[in-house]
Amino acid sequence: MAMKQRYIPILLLLVSCQEVIERPLEADARDIIAVEAVLTNENINHQVRLTHPYAKQNGQAVVASGAQVTLTDGTSLYPLVEFPSSSGEYYSEPFIAVVGRQYGLEIRYQGRVYTAIDQSQGVEPLEEIVYEPVAEGGYQLIFRETGSLPHYITHHINWQHTSACTTAPCQGAVVQYDLKTVDAHEAFKPEKIPFVFPGGSLIVRRKYSVSPGYRAYLRAILSETEWRGGVFDVEPANAPTNLSPGAVGYFAVTSVVADTTLLQ
Amino acid sequence: MGTSRMRTGHQWFSWVFFCCCLFCLPAWAQSSLSRPLTYTVTNQPLARVLAELEQLADITFSYNPSRLPLNTHITLRVTQEPLERIIERICQQANLRYEWIEKQVVLLPQPPPDNPLEKVTLSGFVKDRATGEALIGTTVWVPALQQGTATNGFGFYSLSLPRGSYEVVYSFLGYESQRTRIEFDQSRQATLFLTESVPLLQQVTIEAQPAEVIAPQTGSLDVRPAAIQERPALLGEMDVVKSLESVPGVKPHSDGSTFYYVRGGQRDQNLILVDDAPVYNPSHLLGFFSAIIPDAINDMTLYKGDMPAALGGRLSSVLDIRTKKGNDQHVQWWGSVGLVSNKIGVEGPFKKDKSSFLVSTRFSRLRWLAQLANPNVEQFQFTDFTGKLNVEINARNKLFFTFYNGSDNYFADNGGIQWANSAATVRWNRVFSDRVFANTTVSGSNYQYALYTDRANNTRWNSQIGNLHLKMDVTYFANPDSELSVGIGLGGYFFDPGNLRSNLSTADAPQLSTRQSVETVLYGSHNLKINSRWALAYGLRLTRWSNVGEGFEFVFDANRQPVDTLRYAKGQRYGSVATAEPRFTATYSVSAQSSVKASYTHTVQNMHLISNTISPFTALEVWLPSSLNIQPQRAHQVALGYHHRYVQPEVAVTAEVFYKRMERQIEYENHAETLLNPLVEGELRFGKGMSYGVELMAKKETGRWRGWVGYTWSRALRQFDDINQGARFPAFFDRPHQINAMVSYDVTHRWNVGANWIFLSGAPFTSPVGFYSFNGLEVPLYGARNNDRLPDYHRMDISATLKLNRNLERKFQHSLGVSIFNFYARKNPLFINFNKSVAEDGTLKIPSDLLNAQRFTSQLYLFQFTPSLTYQFKWR
Repeated sequence: MAMKQRYIPILLLLVSCQEVIERPLEADARDIIAVEAVLTNENINHQVRLTHPYAKQNGQAVVASGAQVTLTDGTSLYPLVEFPSSSGEYYSEPFIAVVGRQYGLEIRYQGRVYTAIDQSQGVEPLEEIVYEPVAEGGYQLIFRETGSLPHYITHHINWQHTSACTTAPCQGAVVQYDLKTVDAHEAFKPEKIPFVFPGGSLIVRRKYSVSPGYRAYLRAILSETEWRGGVFDVEPANAPTNLSPGAVGYFAVTSVVADTTLLQ
Repeated sequence: MGTSRMRTGHQWFSWVFFCCCLFCLPAWAQSSLSRPLTYTVTNQPLARVLAELEQLADITFSYNPSRLPLNTHITLRVTQEPLERIIERICQQANLRYEWIEKQVVLLPQPPPDNPLEKVTLSGFVKDRATGEALIGTTVWVPALQQGTATNGFGFYSLSLPRGSYEVVYSFLGYESQRTRIEFDQSRQATLFLTESVPLLQQVTIEAQPAEVIAPQTGSLDVRPAAIQERPALLGEMDVVKSLESVPGVKPHSDGSTFYYVRGGQRDQNLILVDDAPVYNPSHLLGFFSAIIPDAINDMTLYKGDMPAALGGRLSSVLDIRTKKGNDQHVQWWGSVGLVSNKIGVEGPFKKDKSSFLVSTRFSRLRWLAQLANPNVEQFQFTDFTGKLNVEINARNKLFFTFYNGSDNYFADNGGIQWANSAATVRWNRVFSDRVFANTTVSGSNYQYALYTDRANNTRWNSQIGNLHLKMDVTYFANPDSELSVGIGLGGYFFDPGNLRSNLSTADAPQLSTRQSVETVLYGSHNLKINSRWALAYGLRLTRWSNVGEGFEFVFDANRQPVDTLRYAKGQRYGSVATAEPRFTATYSVSAQSSVKASYTHTVQNMHLISNTISPFTALEVWLPSSLNIQPQRAHQVALGYHHRYVQPEVAVTAEVFYKRMERQIEYENHAETLLNPLVEGELRFGKGMSYGVELMAKKETGRWRGWVGYTWSRALRQFDDINQGARFPAFFDRPHQINAMVSYDVTHRWNVGANWIFLSGAPFTSPVGFYSFNGLEVPLYGARNNDRLPDYHRMDISATLKLNRNLERKFQHSLGVSIFNFYARKNPLFINFNKSVAEDGTLKIPSDLLNAQRFTSQLYLFQFTPSLTYQFKWR
C-alpha cells in the first residue's frame, strides 16, 4: 500500500522555497540515556550503545560510560563489556538470539536501572538486489516493497577497493524500511538525495525482521526523520520505547538474513 | 440707591408686560392659527418644512427630535389656508398630533391605539432591482414610530403596526434607500426593489438602528460578496473562505490553506453551509484555493459561536452562505480568465419576476504546468459546477433548487489523489400569512476522498461522509418587537472512515466499520424587544443523536486495548445521546447608534474529524460520529460586545471580549495510526480546551474609501491528561496577536485599487530539545508540546482593477485586474525541519547515505511576491 506520491510535491516545487536557517534550539540537557541495541540471530558479539542526547544537529553524542549492561533470555545471563573503554559501546560474548525467544536487557547506570524486553520474529528471504545505472554515471539502488512481513534492509556499499575511490570515504550506508504501514505522511514523504555509487562496489545487505513493538518504534522515528518535511506531516512527538522511563531508543531482537553483491 | 430705584421700576414694567402677554396669548394664538397662508412644498423632509413654516408664520415648533420622523417627506400645496389647517395636514402626513402651549406649537407622535387588534401587517420581499436577488438583512423602518424589522434569509419581512399612514424606509448597505408612504388601513403585501448605489457616491442614510447594533447575536459578521471581490486574491482567485482570514477572531492556518480556526476551536468545529447543505471540504488543490467563489453568492454571514438556534452541529462557528437564485429580470453572462482557472456563468429568467436559473462552472488550467515538472502527470485539475433554479409558484409559495459539485483530480505514475464535494438543496418558502413565514429544506451532501496507489487496478484508500436532511422552520412575526421561530430537523449520516478498495483481492486489508447515524433536532428562538433600550434573544436547540447498525464497535479497556467487539444488526440503534444547547443574548441600546450585548452559548458537536496531521493542506479526511468511544464535544462561550456606528463618516466599530471552554476535545496518541486502522478510536485522547480574548474592528463599507481594520488578542490553550504530562499547552492556532487591514479605493469610476495586510503571531510548534542516533538516523528528542513558535506571519497584498469600458452603461462590461500576493515578499515559513541535507543541485532533501549525512535546520515557505492577471467580463 505504501507508495510515494509524486504529483503533490510537483505542486510544492512550483510554489515553495526551502532554505537553510540558523535557529538556536531550546536545548534541554535532561538526564536521559539513549539506547541503541539490536540483537540478531547471528552468532556475533552483540552491541549495546549508550549515549546521552546531544543539543545540536550533527553533534557528537556524549557517551554513557561505566554502565553495567546485561542481556538475558530468561535462563542465561550475558554480561556486556564496554570496549574500547569509555566508548559507551558494550559487547557481549558471541551468542545467537533465537527466533521466538524473549530477551531482556538491563542497564545499571549512575544509580538507576533501565530494563527492556523484546522477542524476534522470523525473517523472509532477501529478494534479488535491483539497481540501475544513472545518467551521470554510476548506479543507484531501486527499492520496492517485498514480502508480506514488516522489515528493513541495510545496504553497506563500499568501493574503497576500486579505482573510482578518489575521495574518502568511498563507502556509504542506505537503509530501506518496509514496515507495511499506511500513512499519509509516508506516502507524501519528502524526496531523498540519490545515493550513487560506482561499478565494482561491494554491497552487503542485511534484512532485519521487525517485532510489532519495534515496528511501532521505527515508524515513529521515521515519522520524525525520513518522512518529516513532506506534505502531510504529523504532530512531532517522542517515539515510543520499550525501555523503562528515563531512557529513549529501543532494545530490539531481530532475525537477519544477509547477502553480498559485487557490482559488475 | 439710585440704581435700586431704577431696578424696581424695571421689574414693575416686566411684571406688567408679562401679565399683558398672558392675557393676550389666547387671542394671539387664535389670530396666529387662523392666519391664512400660501405655502407649497414638494417631497421635502419634515425638519425642513417646519423650519420654513417657522419663518413664514413667525411661530415656534417645539419637539423632541429623537421622537419625531424628521426625515419623513412632506408634500403640500396650499393657498390662503389657515395655519391651523396647514399644521393639521402636516401632522396627518407625518402621523403626528400637536398642542398649543405657551405660544409654541408642540409636536408629538400619535399615541399607538390601545387595542392591539387595530394593528395591520405589512409584509413582503425586498429585492435587487437589477437582478431580482433577495436582499437579506434589509432594514424596514417606520420613522414615525421608531420601529422596524429586517428581512430574513430569503428577503422576507413582516411588520405589524397600528392603523395609520406611515412613511416606510427600506435601506440596505450599498443600495439607495427608498421611502414609501403606505396606508396601514389593512394588511397588505409589498415587494420592494432597491437600486444599487454607485460606490463613488457617499451615501449616508442612518435612520434606522444599524443592523449590527441591533442584531441579536454577538460575534456575527455579515460579509458582502462585493467586499470579497475587492480584496486582492492569490493568483487572482477570489476566495470566500480565505477572505475570513481578515476577520478578527478567525485565525488562518497558513499560506496555501483553507483551514481556519475560530475563537480557539479546531478546524472541524467550523460548519460551512451553502444553502443549508454542509460542505465538508471547501478546498481545491490541497487548499491553495477554496471551492466557494463569490460570483455565485448572494449573502454570507459568519457566526463565531453565538449562532441562531436554527444553526448548529458545530462547536465554534457557522459560515452561512446563501447563493444567488439567478437573475429574474434579464439574462446575463459573466466569467473570468485567470492564471489558474477560467470561470463562466449564465443566469436569467424563465419568466420575468417569477422564475430564474443560474449555472456556473470553473475549471483549472494547471496540467500543462505540472507536466513541465513531470511529463507523466495525467490529471492535474479541479472543477466546480453550481446550478440554481428558482420558481415562484404564486405570491405565497416559492421553490429553490441548488446543486453544487466540486472535484479535484491529481494523477501521475499510476497513483493519485481525488476528492469530490457534492451538495444539493430543495427549499420551499411558504408565506402562510402576513405574519407567518415557513421554510422547508431538503438537503444532501456527500464528500469522498480517495488515495490511489495502483490506479491500473483501481486500488485506493477511500473515505466518505454523506448526509441527508429535512428541516422545517416557521417564523412568527408577532409584532416589530417580537419574533418567534420554531423548527424541526431530521438528518441521516453515513460515515466510511476509510477502507481499501481494489479490483484485486483486498482480503488481507483491515476492515473498518462504516457508520450510520440519525439526528433529530428541535429548536426554537424568540427575539424580544422589551423596551426602547433592552432586547433579548433566547433559544434552545435539542438534539438526539443515535447510531444505527449495521456495524461494529470495539470496546477498549483503561489502557485503550480492545477487549471486546460489539456487533449491531441492520437498523439497530445504539450509542444514543441527547443534548440541549441553550443560547441567550441581551442587548442594551445605549443610543440609536450604539449598543452593548452580552451572550451565553452552549454548543454541541457530534461529528469529529480524525486527523493528526499538522499539514496546512487538505489531508486524508476521516470523520467519525459520536458513539460509544467518542462522546460529543461541548463548548460554553460567554461574550460581551460593544457596537457603534458613526454617521459621518459611516464607520461601524465593534469591540468584543469572549471566554470559551471546550470539553471532550480530541487529540491523538503520539504518532497515531489514523488510516486503515480499525482501532483508531483507541488512538484518541480527550481533554479540555479553553480560549479567551478581545476582538476590535472598525469597518467602513460605503464611499470611495472602503475597508476595515481589526485587532485581536486571544489565547487558545489545551489540556489533556495523556499529553504533555498533563500540563496545559498552547494549541497550534494559539496566535495571540492578530492585525487585519483591508482597504479599497475608487480612484475613478473605472479604477479601483485595494490592499490587504495581515499580521499574526507565529504559530506554536514543537521543536527538538536534543537528538540521539539510532540506525544512523538522527532522531529528535522533544520536550514540552508546542514549546516553540514560528516567526511572526505578516503579508501585504495589493490589487488594481480597471474597467475597460469607457461607457459604464454598455451591456458588455469587462475589466482587467492585477494583483500581487505577498507584495514585499515576506518569507512566512510553514514548517521548520531539522532533517534535511543539501543535495548537489543545492536543493534540500533527506539524506540517503546515513554514514556521511550532514543535516541542517531548514524552513519551507510558499508564495513570495506572486503577481497575477485576471480578465473579467459581464454581459447583460
